[in-house]
Amino acid sequence: MGKLRTAIRQATAAGRHAEARALRARLREAERQWDTGVEQPSAQPPLVPVREQVHRALTLLGAPTAAKMIVAVDESFFGGQMANTQLTSLRRDEEKSYRSAPGARPYYLCAALTSELLSPARGLLALSTWELPQRIIGPLSPRTDFLTSAIRLAEHLMRLESASTGAFRLLGQLAQNIPGGGDGFGPADPAKVIAAAGAELAVHQERDQMDRREAAARAADRLKPVERLFGTGLKSVRSA
Amino acid sequence: MNRLDGIRGGTPGQDHNARSIAALAANPACDRRAILDAAAIDKPLLMKRLRFDDRWGQSPFAIQRNQQFTDLVKANGAAHLLRLLRELLDLPIEEAGYVNLEDVGGHEGHLARHGHTRRVIKQTAEGLGRATILDRPLLRLDVAGAQVYLEPDVIAFQLGGMFHIVAIKSFAILDDQADTPKVSAAAREAAVYVHALRDVVGRDLVSHDVILVCPKDFTNAPTATTVDVRHQLVTLARQLSRLTRIDALLDRLPEGFSLDLETLSSGEIEAAVAAIPARYAPQCLSACELSHLCRKEAHLNEQVDALGRIVRDDLGGIESVTTALRVATPGEPVADDQAEIAERLRHVARIYDEAVA
Repeated sequence: MGKLRTAIRQATAAGRHAEARALRARLREAERQWDTGVEQPSAQPPLVPVREQVHRALTLLGAPTAAKMIVAVDESFFGGQMANTQLTSLRRDEEKSYRSAPGARPYYLCAALTSELLSPARGLLALSTWELPQRIIGPLSPRTDFLTSAIRLAEHLMRLESASTGAFRLLGQLAQNIPGGGDGFGPADPAKVIAAAGAELAVHQERDQMDRREAAARAADRLKPVERLFGTGLKSVRSA
Repeated sequence: MNRLDGIRGGTPGQDHNARSIAALAANPACDRRAILDAAAIDKPLLMKRLRFDDRWGQSPFAIQRNQQFTDLVKANGAAHLLRLLRELLDLPIEEAGYVNLEDVGGHEGHLARHGHTRRVIKQTAEGLGRATILDRPLLRLDVAGAQVYLEPDVIAFQLGGMFHIVAIKSFAILDDQADTPKVSAAAREAAVYVHALRDVVGRDLVSHDVILVCPKDFTNAPTATTVDVRHQLVTLARQLSRLTRIDALLDRLPEGFSLDLETLSSGEIEAAVAAIPARYAPQCLSACELSHLCRKEAHLNEQVDALGRIVRDDLGGIESVTTALRVATPGEPVADDQAEIAERLRHVARIYDEAVA
């Protein structure tokens, strides 16, 4: 294309207008080919569907998690490229699929349930393969889930032979909010994060597990299978 | 309150929110704002009828930026906030409960959400439940006989039986210093929430120290500081009680006064608004929808208000710029009550003349 442009300039300067016009046509054709060549890769669909990507991230995190965090983990640990917006309707789609053919899929992306009302917790995604207590959100659960996720990410980083700097940065951001986990500068030290998060987790875990088991027993007792996955409340009735 | 409804006429009223209530407290001496607010007049519509540009309001970029920062602080069970509270107030490690009061099982109505908020807050106050941080409470405030729901983007949090309000704002605290007007605006808004929360749990259980969370220096990392809002609370309480005792203000209005935006012509609306005295100050521009109208009025009448509160207070008693200039001129006759200020103005004028000469 560069050569063509030079040729056009020379032809115009020398007054060979017919030749310049022909060269311009060739340049336009070359540009069009170049454009399609550049666009090709991004037009391909991702290799793993979104629900698989979310499943992969949630399995690593091991606790009900907000969409933003799932996207961040997928990006820095698996090199995925999801957008937050792709996750918004996911839970509703999964619920529809479950209602039309319960248990047809090996797993469902479902809701976490609030311990008090057993309603779906806002913005959190969970896996249907987890035990019910793991999907209950009591008052202390956001904190214990946060610590659990941080530990699991750190353990995963220690297992990996080489990890992206993005993964270390993400862990660093989490570690910043764990007492003794790190100062937020430089790459995080996974071993230190595990120790610090474990220490705080030990403080909360017993009370949190008690809340969760109590609410889970209540849920198992009162809720239909579909409500156990997607929560109870007016919303799920309406969308049914 | 029937008279207020009569003033509004058939036009639907405008709901209050924390910002509008805080704006009311920002300029307590303004009768215009007090009456329009008490009658729940739709002020943006009023300005539209008077053909003023729709220039007032928060920029969408500012709102978005604030939302992003709030999301960051609240992410992962308010992990950032927990760290800040542990550093600032020595919150014990065990206190880490986080409850989102927005989750009410699909009952989206204000009444249901407010009921849920009340119940959880009362339980927490009695020492039941494990919630330390209560996110997105829906509070209610009585403004001029109307029930106003406040949906704060703030968090109530309790430590040792005392509740605190946390306000998250996206202006930066640079080297432990922040922009004073922004801090006082945040404090006024937070005071509204403190006031509303006190209605739920009682006066003694809500701290007058508000926790302000802002970005630190030039980073996006949150930092926290406490702000005392006692002064703002007093102003707010006075202003709210003034709204309920609005009758005194209404008595000064002409008989049959109306501000029905649907039936009156724009000329009539302008005359009606002009009939209520305003107290303009340049600060109004960031707090009140009517500010551009009042500023124009102040400029036309050469009121000293347009020059700012400091100038107005310094010129105590003198209303217009023309009067001030006349009084400052040596040899002009001066009324007795203006003798003192005249002497001071003439002194300043002499110094100025010598300096320029």
